[in-house]
Amino acid sequence: MSAVLTENTPPRAPQESPGLWTLAWRRLLQDRVGMVALAVVILFIAMMLASFTGLIARDWSKESGVSYANPAFLAGQENLEAKAVAAGGAVSKAAPVDLSDVDPLAPRYKEWEERAAKIAVTETKRAETLAFGGDKWGRDVLLKVIKGSEVSIFVGLVAAVLATIIGTFLGAMAGYWGGKTNDFLEWFYNIFTSIPYILLILAFAAVFKKGLDTIIVILALTGWTGIYRLVRAEYIKHSAREYVKAAQAIGASHMSRMFIHILPNASHVILVQLSQHVVSFIKAEVILSFLGLGVPVDMVSWGTMLAEAQNELVIGKWWQLFAAGASMALLVTAFSLLTDSLRDALDPKLK
Amino acid sequence: MTAYVVRRLWQMIPTLAGVILLIFFLFNWVGGDPAQVLAGKISNPEQIANIRKQLGVDEPYWYQLWVFVKQVFTFDFGRSWSTNEEVSRILLTRVGPTLTIMVPVLIIETTLAVTFAIMVAYVRGTLTDRMIMIVCTTAMSISFLVYIIVFQWLFGFILGWFPVQGWSESFWKNLSTYAPLPILLAVAVGLAPQLRLYRSFFLEEINQDYVRTARAKGLPEKKVMMKHVLRNALIPILTNIGIYLPSVFVGSFLLEVFFSIPGLGREIITAVNRSDFPVIKAVTVYLAMLTMIINLLVDVMYKFVDPRVSFK
Amino acid sequence: MTDTTPILQIRNLDVRFRVDRKHEPFRAVKGISFDVPTNTTVALVGESGSGKSVTAMSILKLLPENAIVSPESEILYAGKNLARATLADMQAIRGKEISVIFQEPMTSLNPVFPVGEQISEVLRTHMGLAPRSARERAVALLNEVGIPNPQLRVHSFPHELSGGQQQRVMIAMAIACEPKLLIADEPTTALDVTIQKQILDLIASLQEKHQMSVLFITHDLGVVGDIADHVVVMQGGEIKEKGLVHQIFHDPKDPYTKALLACRPRLDRRPVRLPVIEDFLRNETGPKLEERHRGTAEGDAVILEVKNLTKTFFLKEGFFGKRAVPAVKDVSFRLRKGKTLGLVGESGSGKTTVGLTLMRLHDATSGEVLFEGKNLLSLTDREMMAYRRRIQIIFQNPYASLNPRMTVGQILVEPMKIHGIGKDQRERVDHAFSLLKRVGLSEQSFYKYPHEFSGGQRQRIAIARCLTMKPDVLICDESVSALDVSVQAQVLNLLQDLQDEFGLSYIFISHDLAVVKYISDQVMVMNEGAVIEIADSDEIYLNPQQDYTRKLLSSIPKGLEHQAA
Repeated sequence: MSAVLTENTPPRAPQESPGLWTLAWRRLLQDRVGMVALAVVILFIAMMLASFTGLIARDWSKESGVSYANPAFLAGQENLEAKAVAAGGAVSKAAPVDLSDVDPLAPRYKEWEERAAKIAVTETKRAETLAFGGDKWGRDVLLKVIKGSEVSIFVGLVAAVLATIIGTFLGAMAGYWGGKTNDFLEWFYNIFTSIPYILLILAFAAVFKKGLDTIIVILALTGWTGIYRLVRAEYIKHSAREYVKAAQAIGASHMSRMFIHILPNASHVILVQLSQHVVSFIKAEVILSFLGLGVPVDMVSWGTMLAEAQNELVIGKWWQLFAAGASMALLVTAFSLLTDSLRDALDPKLK
Repeated sequence: MTAYVVRRLWQMIPTLAGVILLIFFLFNWVGGDPAQVLAGKISNPEQIANIRKQLGVDEPYWYQLWVFVKQVFTFDFGRSWSTNEEVSRILLTRVGPTLTIMVPVLIIETTLAVTFAIMVAYVRGTLTDRMIMIVCTTAMSISFLVYIIVFQWLFGFILGWFPVQGWSESFWKNLSTYAPLPILLAVAVGLAPQLRLYRSFFLEEINQDYVRTARAKGLPEKKVMMKHVLRNALIPILTNIGIYLPSVFVGSFLLEVFFSIPGLGREIITAVNRSDFPVIKAVTVYLAMLTMIINLLVDVMYKFVDPRVSFK
Repeated sequence: MTDTTPILQIRNLDVRFRVDRKHEPFRAVKGISFDVPTNTTVALVGESGSGKSVTAMSILKLLPENAIVSPESEILYAGKNLARATLADMQAIRGKEISVIFQEPMTSLNPVFPVGEQISEVLRTHMGLAPRSARERAVALLNEVGIPNPQLRVHSFPHELSGGQQQRVMIAMAIACEPKLLIADEPTTALDVTIQKQILDLIASLQEKHQMSVLFITHDLGVVGDIADHVVVMQGGEIKEKGLVHQIFHDPKDPYTKALLACRPRLDRRPVRLPVIEDFLRNETGPKLEERHRGTAEGDAVILEVKNLTKTFFLKEGFFGKRAVPAVKDVSFRLRKGKTLGLVGESGSGKTTVGLTLMRLHDATSGEVLFEGKNLLSLTDREMMAYRRRIQIIFQNPYASLNPRMTVGQILVEPMKIHGIGKDQRERVDHAFSLLKRVGLSEQSFYKYPHEFSGGQRQRIAIARCLTMKPDVLICDESVSALDVSVQAQVLNLLQDLQDEFGLSYIFISHDLAVVKYISDQVMVMNEGAVIEIADSDEIYLNPQQDYTRKLLSSIPKGLEHQAA
């Protein structure tokens, strides 16, 4: 609009007039806790992107250390397990059981072994200690955490965005049109909410094939209900507001009223919901992956790390548990605090 | 009141039909042919043929749906695909252990959360309040898995206060020996989010006009909180318990898996891992029905909590 | 007035509110002093933001938690400084010595307890009555405040009572312990005019009977004349003037007080335009204005004719049942070109529904709306578009009627785009600028968002939005009701000027009879969805034909007219 303003129309206001978003942003800037939380969240997302593009943690699966390599700060401690594994490995190599008559692949073992031996030659010496310790196969826990965060955050973000889109669209339809549309969508909503949430996820997980895309789809298909309900309530509230009636009076179309007039006014609710769902989906992904219902075995997420860490604690190898648990707690805390701050900053009651 | 209940039951029919359709869609359409699903899991071809027949895979979809509806209303989902145990028996025997854990959890958690929430709301805005809220937010952010792993290790292995896992035939032994650690865990984890939520309910009520009236009457602040505010905040708290109640029957499947408690939750996880469709289908349908009934009961209870509710 | 020491003395009361870390606390009350004498009614008058309610609430320390009362403030009651009193001291005084009634009776009563319990709670707390005798006393109190069937009503919950009855319960609660001072914070603002009259009468009679003092907070000078002995006029946290009611009404000293008295429309006068505050700031005596003649003649052209308009809402009930709720019953009228038709009625009279239905914001159940010979109600949506722009509406709530996420420029340009008014964007923007100027806003406003404007300014923006479409008929649905009187006068003047300039026809919907009388040529009185009476406005006020109209007219606070007479 400003482009068409020429010299004979009054000049643009010298000071940019703050819209509601600008005001909300200013309030957020004042909120120290919110800003720290935002910084942490941005840091994690940057880490995710860096890992995604291969800038960091590309070779997380490289077995660079000895089994259960100690963290660098515990270099002096004896690593009994590493020795046991090394010893065990030697024993199994020394006495191979001849399976040639039951195993059809047996004749090829030798060939593979030779090939493996060639690769093994190039293998560098395994490190005794790693920055934050190693796992059972001697992979660097720090790199695993970074790679794992990529999967967990990616799943959380994408699933939350999808769930928000579904919930917002259906909620807008039900709230704006009311009547039969509303009845139908309420019926649909009732079906999804009459099955306990966890059970619903598991029922979906039971029939879909495993994979990163599947878990995103499952979380999105089961997680839209809360957003639907809130957006619907917002649309019912705003449809009755006078500014929407005024838009109708000037002849604005239904589409214009739904998406140009009402949607921006419901957007703060949607944004807070989005943020909240990222948190709950990250948590859900971790649990699903832990149960083996989430990401496939060749990937790493915080959930699969915790699944491994479960047995490590008993033998005193706490670092993988700590690394995965703490980095997740840090991100989730930051995200939750950010959500709270967002809600305060966007709360129209304060204006 | 009777008319209201009858109408509500009547309104459940379309929802139940929808649930049945959704589950049918998932397991008979998306889930597809059990022979493929089970390939490699069950090697007995006779059994697979039996399952195919039971499902009527080769029959048209409307016939399969009819079989499913019949199963729902005759409470006969046949036998588990993996253990061959009767599905109805599985459901009945697994509910007990789940409730042994979850009922105490619900009671303890709600009592503690309401008590602490009203105390925190009373000192709202102070340093104590803010510290408790930060602790809660942090506590909520740590994965349930981490809690279980650490608690089990600490109290089971290191301190030896509780058995690490196990379950027995005797209810009292379960409640006194095997249940306490899982209950403690569930309460510890569930308390923080509930405390936060209930605190927000109390704060919402504290800002209402009638609270100002109560103060203007000269009532002591304690009475304002314990009578006027508490009574009104019970309404959203009841709603929240109503939402939470159905999942009591699913149980905390993580706890059941970790502590080897033979409850419904663990059964579901096992069934999902083994693609044991009859078990999942039965659990889902019946829990959906139960949820609807619980919702109705909660709505009826509103009448006693909120005088503004009328059954018309 | 035998005792000469005032019951309450306020000295240097200064209240500030913390906003946030960055800003200085907002100073709401700026060191004011006044007295409430024994056994009298003092009215604290002011517009929104004057600090009148803050003053009242600080007496009982019922201010929000972010309020700071400066240490110099003194609130002297019975030899004690309440500003320094402990919470325990205050609790002994609240409800016993000094009690309060609030503006919103519905939200001020606890929804989950029966009203009897809420009244007897005070008696148990302060008088140490046993539950049974407290209950009996509650019944007697309900009887005293004029609630029918008090034996039954003690068991009622607040939502089962009407707004007027709720306020009576609040009053019963307040007088239960025979307080020495009753603080009434806008107790009738949320009520219909006939109910307002009853509540005012009740407060006046109780004041006399119980020999108590009343501090009556209001924005309505009309009410003040009816009830108060003393008046304190506040503006922007300061006292502008205080004195006996007679003196304030007859011989106001302060220009603000003068303006406040002059800018409210009166039943007995109709100047060509209403005086506003600026008039008095420029000129001590205010403008001398001629009377305007209003009325309609048979020969005046008719622009809009409504025939047998009916609107019924259906509520779902029972299994498949629907309950019909008639909102508008068989309403017919003619709007004459360039004239104003006033629609008056109490809440629930269907007056707003008439407005919304005839411009098809609601679907009518039956009837016709003839505009240039076309029945608008039978047009398709597409055909209607051409007529949409010609009938426009200005709503009541200036805070809800503008989209908070759009700039004023976008708000003004949107309707022009929809209706293809103006050749191009440039022409539309130019037109928007000229309209902003016309309604008295700066051109900078074009770039601003609605939240940066006051209520009156927002109403001007809403008017400008309608004008972009060059309408023929403008429906004003309670358009000035939410505004302070001084702002209300400015907006009314603007509407009048626009009518004179563009020959607009107005349908002016309001519950405020004085405003309707001032602005309308013809008045239609509605009650429970039906037309009670329709006549020229002077006619209806001087010579009402129906009982309901008479009742409505007798309920108008006549403070101004009486005192001025």
